[in-house]
Amino acid sequence: MTLSSFFKAELLTLFRRKQSIFNALIFFVMVVTLFPLGVDPSPDFLAPAAGGIIWCAIALAILMSVESLFKEDYNDGSLEQWLVSGHSVSVLVLLKVFAQWLMVVIPLVLALPFLSKMLFLASELIPVMLVSVLVGSPALFLIGAIGAALTVSLRGGAVLMLLLILPLYIPVIIFATGAVRAAQLEMPFTGQLAILGAISLLALAISPLMAAISIKASVS
Amino acid sequence: MNWTWFHKLGSPKWFFQWADRWGKVCFWFGTVLLIVGVIWGLGFAPQDYQQGNSFRIIYIHVPAAVLAQSCYLAMGIAGFVALVWQMKLAPVFIKAVAPVGAVMAFISLVSGAIWGKPTWGTWWVWDARLTSVLVLFLLYMGVIAIQNTLDDLQLADKAVAVISIVGVINLPIIKYSVEWWNTLHQPATFKLTEKPAMPVEMWLPLLFSALGLYLFAAGVSMWRMQNEVLVRERRANWVKEEVMKRGV
Repeated sequence: MTLSSFFKAELLTLFRRKQSIFNALIFFVMVVTLFPLGVDPSPDFLAPAAGGIIWCAIALAILMSVESLFKEDYNDGSLEQWLVSGHSVSVLVLLKVFAQWLMVVIPLVLALPFLSKMLFLASELIPVMLVSVLVGSPALFLIGAIGAALTVSLRGGAVLMLLLILPLYIPVIIFATGAVRAAQLEMPFTGQLAILGAISLLALAISPLMAAISIKASVS
Repeated sequence: MNWTWFHKLGSPKWFFQWADRWGKVCFWFGTVLLIVGVIWGLGFAPQDYQQGNSFRIIYIHVPAAVLAQSCYLAMGIAGFVALVWQMKLAPVFIKAVAPVGAVMAFISLVSGAIWGKPTWGTWWVWDARLTSVLVLFLLYMGVIAIQNTLDDLQLADKAVAVISIVGVINLPIIKYSVEWWNTLHQPATFKLTEKPAMPVEMWLPLLFSALGLYLFAAGVSMWRMQNEVLVRERRANWVKEEVMKRGV
């Protein structure tokens, strides 16, 4: 197994199991739909709240898709093969997260402009929204991967993983919605986006290491 | 520098005997300090010129809030020790301290809400500090939950170590993110580097109750750690001797 063949195989597996990707997308759309129905469908409420609604829905959808990141590999014994493959487990984790990120975020980003319009977000704000998703979502995936690795050996680990990981998502959500809100008020928003990027980079440095430790502990 | 004390901490037996002596001292000394500080603060300290008597809840609120943060920091350090040096006692420490810290975070949330009603006119606001203590409380809950859910002891130890470290790295980010997001809370009462802005007769009882609560929590944690050590080392000879000696 070389790293490139591993990455290709991961992408192919995700592509052939389209349902799990669709699940995340549909979940995202449904959460967004609940807000106008549950709170207030008028543009007066939705337009200022759009950034927050979309980001909360994205965080939940990503958490849902990351939750089962290592489950299949744990059940069929692939994780054990990771440990004996001679590659660094951190690198394998990183490649797997990257593959998952590509396959989940691309559909989300494609759906984003439509949902933004449904929430009456002004057209000139949609690029800001897209950039915030592209810059901030890697942090969500990487932090989520730690939780997924910790709970991989549990049968009903989903709730536990939510409990562990959601508090860690708070800064990402705050800065992402902060960027959108600042753009709405026609204030500078690059600062918030830069901090989002910094959080993603920090997660990139720490998460593969921690996830690898957790995987080794779970498999042994 | 002499590192023997650090290496000794790796031995559960040594720790058990050490905690047997110092746990009681910490607990009782802390309890007395806490009682003195609280009675002094609630009964005899002068009134605040602005907030009147309602400020007195500070003698419970501030020590609990500070301790809640310290406990999590200590857990993060213990998590690092557990992963790097693989010391047996580090996960025991995390397991013992997590509920203590969670209770402290809860006390500071509740006492803060009670304090907020007369001063801000509302039980709860989405203010930076309140929110970050709420998140801290949730982080504690996560640590406790994963500790209790994972049956495999070694995996559970690794898991709490990982999640404590990640939480400690995240804590300042959470703190500053909510601080930029919204702030109504008054600035910190105590700073290590500055002289407090209160008169002596106001901050001295606060110092008493804060120190008392720290020692009290240290004593309770040591007892909890002792219990955990006994459970984990139940097959060791020294535990059998210890139990026989006490005739349980």
